[in-house]
Amino acid sequence: MSFEAFRQWVQSLAEAGWLPASLGWGFAVNALLAGLITGPMLGSLGTLVVIRRHAFFAEAVGHAALTGVAIGILAGEPYTGPYGALFGYCILFTLALEYLRGRTGLSADTLIGVFLSMSLALGASILLILAGRINVHILENVLFGSILTVNGTDLAVLAIVGIAVTALSAVLYNRFMISSFHPALAQVRGLPVRTLDYLFVVLVTVVTVAALKIVGAVLVGALLVIPAAAARIVARSLAGFWWLSVGIATFATLTGILIPMEFDLPVPSGAAIILVAGTCFLICTTLRALMPAFRGDTA
Amino acid sequence: MTARGPGIAIQNLSLTLGRTEVLSGVDMTVAPGSIHALVGPNGGGKSSLIRCLLGQMPHRGTVSLNWPARPGRIGYVPQALQFDAGLPMTVGDFLGTLDGNRPGFLKPRRATRDLVEAQLARVGMAGKSGRRMGALSGGERQRVLMAQALEPAPDLLILDEPMSALDESGGAIFAEVMQSLRRDGVTVLWIEHDLLAVRRLADHVTGLARRVIFDGQPEAMLDADRVLDLFSQRSAVA
Repeated sequence: MSFEAFRQWVQSLAEAGWLPASLGWGFAVNALLAGLITGPMLGSLGTLVVIRRHAFFAEAVGHAALTGVAIGILAGEPYTGPYGALFGYCILFTLALEYLRGRTGLSADTLIGVFLSMSLALGASILLILAGRINVHILENVLFGSILTVNGTDLAVLAIVGIAVTALSAVLYNRFMISSFHPALAQVRGLPVRTLDYLFVVLVTVVTVAALKIVGAVLVGALLVIPAAAARIVARSLAGFWWLSVGIATFATLTGILIPMEFDLPVPSGAAIILVAGTCFLICTTLRALMPAFRGDTA
Repeated sequence: MTARGPGIAIQNLSLTLGRTEVLSGVDMTVAPGSIHALVGPNGGGKSSLIRCLLGQMPHRGTVSLNWPARPGRIGYVPQALQFDAGLPMTVGDFLGTLDGNRPGFLKPRRATRDLVEAQLARVGMAGKSGRRMGALSGGERQRVLMAQALEPAPDLLILDEPMSALDESGGAIFAEVMQSLRRDGVTVLWIEHDLLAVRRLADHVTGLARRVIFDGQPEAMLDADRVLDLFSQRSAVA
């Protein structure tokens, strides 16, 4: 079934009253599809982000994406999807950061702080130069996500990244885990620890860029962190941790897209998604505080 | 039985971190298939020597592993891990992710589960694969680390203070494991503070405090004078 046929099928179901009425619009189906790829992908990779303590890094890459958008528009790419500059700049940012980690004597958070600020300064400067050329309001979409602007290109990028990242991170999941858990042990057991470090940050980067349209630059890092953090609070095994993180991320993404449409709320999709995920996080903290079984340290 | 483990030859090994000389002109040989203990004060360079041996630290001098045939497997028991105690990972998750390639969040294969159970049984922790890593006692943690290093069966085993938190039964299991490794001809390099255990279990002992203070048979080397000398080295170093 072609994508076009699928969309029409969903739209007809919505018109018949089988699905929420807002899915009668083509853009809503696009958005929902994007959410169905984005949620599980970020929820799964997020468990590794949390295990490897890369939360701040994930945030920083999201902010680097803003600069990537600015560079792309400056270079004449379409402002709806400057993917060349986005991927190029963000991967460069990531690789430089990873290269310098452990070579400067600075802790990771300090180094990320420096990179994040430099990148934002560069992005802000370029955007101001561009201010006369473009409608600045499109920036809101870039910053906080917008379901209205998800087009076929975005979906194609998401699908390709989604398949590649899911496959790689599943195959390498154990290795990513052990290499961050105890690098020296991992190395003795024959794992290429440094290569895995680089590969991991690149995975986080491409995922961040691919999810930019739907979640937004400012908030995409949060969707990598919050579901996994919530799951970690209550989970007692690796399987529980992963499934719960994927579940929360998917739920948050889908409801964050659907609720503003259904109730006609002028809320950006990224913000709605993160608010739902944040609510799940608060529920998990409450569960843990109230029910000793979730505290895990009794096991 | 012939040794299947490698011999280790360390020649003129020196290591400087910042301005501190951690190891200075260390010469030492480990015989294939022997249990070789490394004793000495904290900060004496024992763990650093191991990191040089594993190729994890740039150093001067040579460290060579002389394998009997082609290079074999190295097992490693790190110092009791600084676990992230909140991590939702069970003992079975930990060992299972090391044993198999199926992602740790999926149910492990039957073979992997059986292997994990066998590993745990070997260190006296049968039936505890569901315990959370963060909830283990120090001794249990060391048992799990030991279990990890024995699978796949190593030809060279490197132990970094594997007994520091073991209780009596843990110590007995450890001794049993060491005996079986000796029978199998595995080379063991073993950092230890418990000198009685060294005297009981090791074939050879090297006293290290930045440089080699003594080297020989445990019965002959571990007398009061030498030990006193070894553990008084730190003040001389500093």
